[in-house]
Amino acid sequence: MNPPEPAPSPPPEPSSSTVPAPALGHTHGDELLRLESVTRVYPMGGTAVKALDGVSLSLRRGEFVAVMGPSGSGKSTLLNVLGCLDTPTSGRYVLEGREVQGLTEAQLADVRRKSVGFIFQSYHLVPRMTAARNVELPLVLAGIAPATRRERVREVLDAVGLEPRATHRPDQLSGGERQRVAIARAMAARPSLLLADEPTGNLDTRTADDIMALLQRLHAGGLTIVMVTHDPRMGARAERRIGMVDGRLASDVVLAHVESTR
Amino acid sequence: MRALDVVRLASESLVLHRVRTVLTLTAIAIGLTSVLALTGMGEAAKRYVLGQFASVGSYLITVSPGRIETSGLGSGAGMAGERPLTIDDADAIRRQVPQAVRVVPLSLGTASVEYESRRRDVYLAGATSEFAAMRDLTVQSGSFLPGGSRAGREHVVVLGAKLARELFGDTPAAGKSVRVAEAKFRVIGVMDSKGTSLGVDFDDMALVPAGAGMALLGQSNLHHILVQAASAEALPRVSEQLRAVLTDRHQEEDFTLITQDAMLATVRGILDVLTLSLSAIAALSLLVAGVGIMNVMLVSVSERVGEIGLLKSLGGRPGDIRVLFLTEAAALCALGAIAGLAAHLVMVAAARALWPAFPIRPEPLWLAGGVLFVLGLGILFGWLPARSAARWPAADALRKRV
Repeated sequence: MNPPEPAPSPPPEPSSSTVPAPALGHTHGDELLRLESVTRVYPMGGTAVKALDGVSLSLRRGEFVAVMGPSGSGKSTLLNVLGCLDTPTSGRYVLEGREVQGLTEAQLADVRRKSVGFIFQSYHLVPRMTAARNVELPLVLAGIAPATRRERVREVLDAVGLEPRATHRPDQLSGGERQRVAIARAMAARPSLLLADEPTGNLDTRTADDIMALLQRLHAGGLTIVMVTHDPRMGARAERRIGMVDGRLASDVVLAHVESTR
Repeated sequence: MRALDVVRLASESLVLHRVRTVLTLTAIAIGLTSVLALTGMGEAAKRYVLGQFASVGSYLITVSPGRIETSGLGSGAGMAGERPLTIDDADAIRRQVPQAVRVVPLSLGTASVEYESRRRDVYLAGATSEFAAMRDLTVQSGSFLPGGSRAGREHVVVLGAKLARELFGDTPAAGKSVRVAEAKFRVIGVMDSKGTSLGVDFDDMALVPAGAGMALLGQSNLHHILVQAASAEALPRVSEQLRAVLTDRHQEEDFTLITQDAMLATVRGILDVLTLSLSAIAALSLLVAGVGIMNVMLVSVSERVGEIGLLKSLGGRPGDIRVLFLTEAAALCALGAIAGLAAHLVMVAAARALWPAFPIRPEPLWLAGGVLFVLGLGILFGWLPARSAARWPAADALRKRV
């Protein structure tokens, strides 16, 4: 009954030339989100700091985007705006066909709950809760019935390979395991957009590779990922690289040939 | 969010900070206990005093000579131009007011009572035998005043327990002769010890027949006529008829009727005000506990900014965050209320064991009111911290560690 799905791992198409993003002939074709001249200004000690300065950007479903740039270039602000944690001072943001500008705090929360998953550099796991309960949190906030929650938690923990560690608390887990729990938590509500803020920043190279591999596998399953990173090695594994300087998009490069997802 | 999940998350945070939780909870418990203790004591005092009034005799109407324009108790002294209140008046009431079950003419004064070389100045009351039933008086030896309702002039006297002991020591007094205000009286009985009731020490008192009493004290005017109605319902009718009978005899209303109800209402009112004002003072300590709740919740919010940010990033609405923190404050209060309630019940049980005569007991209405007050307090003082938690901008909050 399902139409033939695109192959789960590496998109076979474009050759290794760099193509402007909108022209990318990706198999997951339709647009997921669009920023139009988005500006975010923070008042800071009398002067106004432009964290985002006229950013326009379009993302298709199934893209894996790395956002790179020096600190203070607006990467995190961009991520916060994409995740509806922050709202633009001016400009438009459309997520899944829905205008985000003008939504109330509660409506923004609903958008986050349904559409967005976050992972952070320092994992942001609640220390007093087990891995399973951390993963369960977004489902608890969504008011989902306990039986369904248990099922879903097992599913996502299994997907990140941490089912056996479900009853461990964060302090009993290694850094890599913590980030896996955080990824499972971000995936629990089945979002269409995963936002990752330096997901490998606190990890050693080997563990970082493992986490990247996990993200690439999720991407291969159709998930759209936007990842902020300092690490060019990690950035190189994304399909599309956005460089930011002083709140502006300095570069937007689609790397046609992406390293395999293993 | 589901209610059960909210309660679980809130109680986890309370358990995590158990020392802080227990201290705050103690402050609430102490506040509630002191409010309940004071209201309980107020209610018990009221019950005690009203009980004292009941022992004076039920459904009583006191007739005093003289018209009292302002409210108050009868002075007893007849004013010029008024007809005195007499034993004949009492007899007329007895004849004409069928629902007056007992009518006692009462003359009061002081007199010396002498036996051999001993002499003692005491209160002297002239009354009738019905006075015993009215004031719940009993004799330990001999008999009470004779003659049923008749206000005789016989020279017989009934002594209070203490008076008899002072005059006769251990020897039996009944049958002996004493001198009362220089007149010779025969002792016919000694009363059981009754103690002081509303300022009258029945133990140090001598009772003689009303007629003899008036003669002894040289009075032409009774102090009171005490009239007892058959029931509370009969009181208004008896008052009415009393008034009619006496007005008819005196040609004018030169007397005053005081029902016990009026006195009771006054006393009850005074005690209610006392209880309420004491409780209000105790409620201040609850208010202090409320500020304590606010403080603890504000600390809790500022410690958990990272967690607030996380919950928001996971799709928690501001309302969800607010409910979480409010529930925490309410749970704190509920636990404090339970502890305070338990402490109060233990104290009441102890007080009842130590002082069985003091009618203190748990007052369901006050208990319920106190607990509701505490819960309201929690929500009132929990509101501000909960609101400030809900208002943290998500992006800022996420910069803090969870």
